[in-house]
Amino acid sequence: MKVKILNSLTLLVLSALIWSCTPQKEGDSSGETTSAAETHPMGQASVVDEVSDPNILQVAISSEPHSTLVAAVQAAQIEHVLVNAGPLTVFAPVNEAFDALPEGTLDNLLKPENKEDLATIITRHAAPGSFDIDALKREAKKGRKIYMATGDYLEVIVDGDNVSVGGAKIVGTVPASNGIIHVIEKVILP
Amino acid sequence: MKTKIFKNTLFISALAFLFSCGQAGDRGGNGALSSNIAEKVYVAPGERDEQYAFLSGGYSGNLTVYGLPSGRLFKEIPVFSQFPTSGYGYSEETKPMLNTSFGFIPWDDLHHPDISQTNGELDGRWIFANGNNTPRIARISLTTFETEEIIEVPNSAGNHSSSFITENTEYVVAGTRFSVPVPQKDMPISEYKANFKGALTFIAVNPEHGHMDIKFQLLMPGFNYDLSHPGRGKSHGWFFFSTYNTEEANSLLEVNASQNDKDFIAAINWKKIEEYVNNGGGTKMPAKFAHNVYDESTHTATSTMKNEVLTVNPVDVPGAIYFLPTPKSPHGCDVDPSGQYIIGSGKLSANITVHSFDKMLAAIDAEKFDGDAYGIPIINYDDVLAGSVQSGGLGPLHTEFDGKGNAYTTFFISSEVVKWKLGTWEVVDRKPTYYSVGHLMIPGGNSRKPHGKYLVAMNKITKDRYLPTGPEMEHSAQIYDISGEKMELLYDFPTHGEPHYAAGCDAELLVNNSKKIYRIDENNHPYAIKSPAEARVERDGKEVHIYMSTIRSHFTPDNIEGIKVGDKVYFHITNHEQDFDVPHGFSMIGQRTSEILVMPGQTKTSLWEPERVGVWPFYCTDFCSALHQEMQGYIRVSPANSNIELSYTLDGDDI
Amino acid sequence: MKRAGIIMIIGSSMLLGLFVFPMWNIRLGAPQYPEPLGIDIHVNGLRGESEFDIQNIDGLNHYIGMKTLPKPDDMWEFSVFPKVVWLMAGLGILIGILGFMGKISPVLFLVWFVMMSILGALGIYDFNLWLVDYGTDLDPNAILKLINPDGTPMQYNPPLLGHKKLLNFDAFSYPRTGGILLGLGMLLSLVSFFLGRKSQD
Repeated sequence: MKVKILNSLTLLVLSALIWSCTPQKEGDSSGETTSAAETHPMGQASVVDEVSDPNILQVAISSEPHSTLVAAVQAAQIEHVLVNAGPLTVFAPVNEAFDALPEGTLDNLLKPENKEDLATIITRHAAPGSFDIDALKREAKKGRKIYMATGDYLEVIVDGDNVSVGGAKIVGTVPASNGIIHVIEKVILP
Repeated sequence: MKTKIFKNTLFISALAFLFSCGQAGDRGGNGALSSNIAEKVYVAPGERDEQYAFLSGGYSGNLTVYGLPSGRLFKEIPVFSQFPTSGYGYSEETKPMLNTSFGFIPWDDLHHPDISQTNGELDGRWIFANGNNTPRIARISLTTFETEEIIEVPNSAGNHSSSFITENTEYVVAGTRFSVPVPQKDMPISEYKANFKGALTFIAVNPEHGHMDIKFQLLMPGFNYDLSHPGRGKSHGWFFFSTYNTEEANSLLEVNASQNDKDFIAAINWKKIEEYVNNGGGTKMPAKFAHNVYDESTHTATSTMKNEVLTVNPVDVPGAIYFLPTPKSPHGCDVDPSGQYIIGSGKLSANITVHSFDKMLAAIDAEKFDGDAYGIPIINYDDVLAGSVQSGGLGPLHTEFDGKGNAYTTFFISSEVVKWKLGTWEVVDRKPTYYSVGHLMIPGGNSRKPHGKYLVAMNKITKDRYLPTGPEMEHSAQIYDISGEKMELLYDFPTHGEPHYAAGCDAELLVNNSKKIYRIDENNHPYAIKSPAEARVERDGKEVHIYMSTIRSHFTPDNIEGIKVGDKVYFHITNHEQDFDVPHGFSMIGQRTSEILVMPGQTKTSLWEPERVGVWPFYCTDFCSALHQEMQGYIRVSPANSNIELSYTLDGDDI
Repeated sequence: MKRAGIIMIIGSSMLLGLFVFPMWNIRLGAPQYPEPLGIDIHVNGLRGESEFDIQNIDGLNHYIGMKTLPKPDDMWEFSVFPKVVWLMAGLGILIGILGFMGKISPVLFLVWFVMMSILGALGIYDFNLWLVDYGTDLDPNAILKLINPDGTPMQYNPPLLGHKKLLNFDAFSYPRTGGILLGLGMLLSLVSFFLGRKSQD
């Protein structure tokens, strides 16, 4: 499964490379031309910085259990959202959560033509604002829902020491320089 | 398996190298195109830019003047901050400019410049700007490019939804971001809700000389009034303010002010309130605020403390104020050139909300209300909504217009500018910004007639865009060519302080009115001298007034004796040059203030309180001429009880 | 002869243009003066082309020890020249009228022209003397004392006519409207002489 994802990624990267090497039409000054900057869709994610505390994207990349999520983020080309000043709270499904999706779902989403859908699904796991476990518990206590980056609201449920968001149980929390990552064991679907 | 992946990656990298387009040294791999872009921003030596851009300096307190498309910096205009470069806020003449009811405040946070308008078009007379921290509004002349007036705004805190002007510059409007008790009083913070007020201040602008005077303050419910824009064309007479924290939280707003699904855009019919006030409506209340005016003919500012302001309670003027529900804590509140569409950008939202002015009027007529807030009717969301832009971005902030039916909105979180069509709400184009854009500016882009060729995106985060300069860096802006269907990124340039909003206009609007010199025969400064022959030194008790002249390349007088420790010495420097771009500077050793830079025909005063006996030099700080280094003088300081006679000479001769 | 008389009247009246328009102009341009400094020479004094040009030329010239530009009272020419112009214009108009009435010979037109030419030559000679004096009579305590490559002190007199490079300045010296009218007027007096003589034949 993982290999498959990587293979499709490889394909993506390759096709991107080939595409970017297509020579520009000389003297074509119409709006159709692509400026130098646009061949670089990663935006702020391309900043090289090995000194600062790692941001959400960097934490995710270095986390083996989130390789599927990272691959999906890259396929959807939304890396720059996860390195933004934020603050953001990201609910990060582990690889097994993606494995648990119906057969073929992920492969389908990773196809370039489904980039937008994939972006929406992932963005639905990010909330503008900084919510640590205590903040989530407070939200639950006050009966407030979490507003997600897509405009949806997710309910927070506290059951003893367990906290779940949108039906996905939080199994771990990792702080990042621009927000918080809560590791969840399920992909949150609408 | 991991190894396999690793190998794969290696293979890809190798391929990538092989494939790297075979154009060594050609970053981006499209040389012909790059040079085409370079031509668009290249302004050859001796050539001049097409447009002016006035970028706010944010926490620098100043306004910076740039050229478009080159991104070259022309001037930093001191507004709310002391500025040693010119002596603004240090010279005796300009100290009163920074006076407030709290005393002398040498700094503020300048946010939103706006150029004066006539019939909804930029007229290039003045530019207004707000001080956010200690609420103030400034007016800057666009003939001298100097700050001419600052008025403090009482009952306000966090003067953020300011300083936007109506389409004939009838009013410059200032709204409060942090609601406060009005009048201020000692009370528990937790009793904020329903007790604090948000003052929206309408400051009348005299059409002749631009002088500002508070006409009335509308005391609104205690929300946060974030940004605002005037109606124009059909909606002229109305003003629109975005609000957040309609929850009226007083702590952890990050969470507590994000609870309501919708906050409001407040629509205010200021013409109706103006009429109410003109007919004797409103309540006068005590309020202390400073009004500082700089007079170009005396080169001197005066500060007057005012004691009263006229306030209006919204419920006393029925039919003048309505709330338009707008999702997710709207930040930007922008009105399109026709005046029909009011755009609210919910800063946590993925979509942009557009209200219709016509629908608003119809809904008001039909009383399609969804309750009220503190007696102010809330119009049904669906009855005022014109449409919403499904942008695909995240964190919309601000919108400007090109006058060709397009709107351009910045997105902070997804770090991009999105171009969309008014009326159809379809997204036409999107371009990334580097990084995390706040405001954007199209010259004239908030008027009836935008000069829409370039778009300037002002970014909040710089990171690796320039050569590194340690942890603190200038902010970064990007210029886009918006003359085509698709936007084209042309150029990056660093900006000083933190630019929030900006204003811009075609160069022709200002170039011919820009002053070259001040006329010495029109200099009415009380300590001016009309020629070097009038130079003199006068003692009045402990005060010594030195009437000094500068002309290339000497001071008159340049040897002064008879000054004593404990004196208060005022140097009144008149620059007798009448030649464009020949300023002279003045500085005195041990002086506890800055140098001053005196323009041709101008008089400025610098205070020195000598503390030590000796012979102390002064000199010209501006490299005025070939003999600038010779432009110096000496002052002999004697003990306080000395009986050395006052004398002053040039070349050994009395003057 | 009537026509010759009228042309003589017109020609000599053109001298009066000297009281309205500058006779001559000297302009100094340099990189730091993209709008050149200019002196308009009127029959009764010097005026800056822009309001503060005289002051600014003097300001620059003091570095090289040149005298300040003369005020009307500083030079006899500015009080005598206007009188001469009035006199010659009056004389010309008078003989023009007399010629129109047929009471004088056209030779007087030629005499007027010759007188004008002599006076003009004297004027230009005097102008040149002043230029040389102005450019060479330098203050011995001048801030900048510049030497030519051959060791002689540098001189700064602007050209009588045309262009000359003075240090970093480009100096241009050309007649202006008043001077051109003067020349045209003299030309017309010559025309009236020939016309008058032809009509007598």
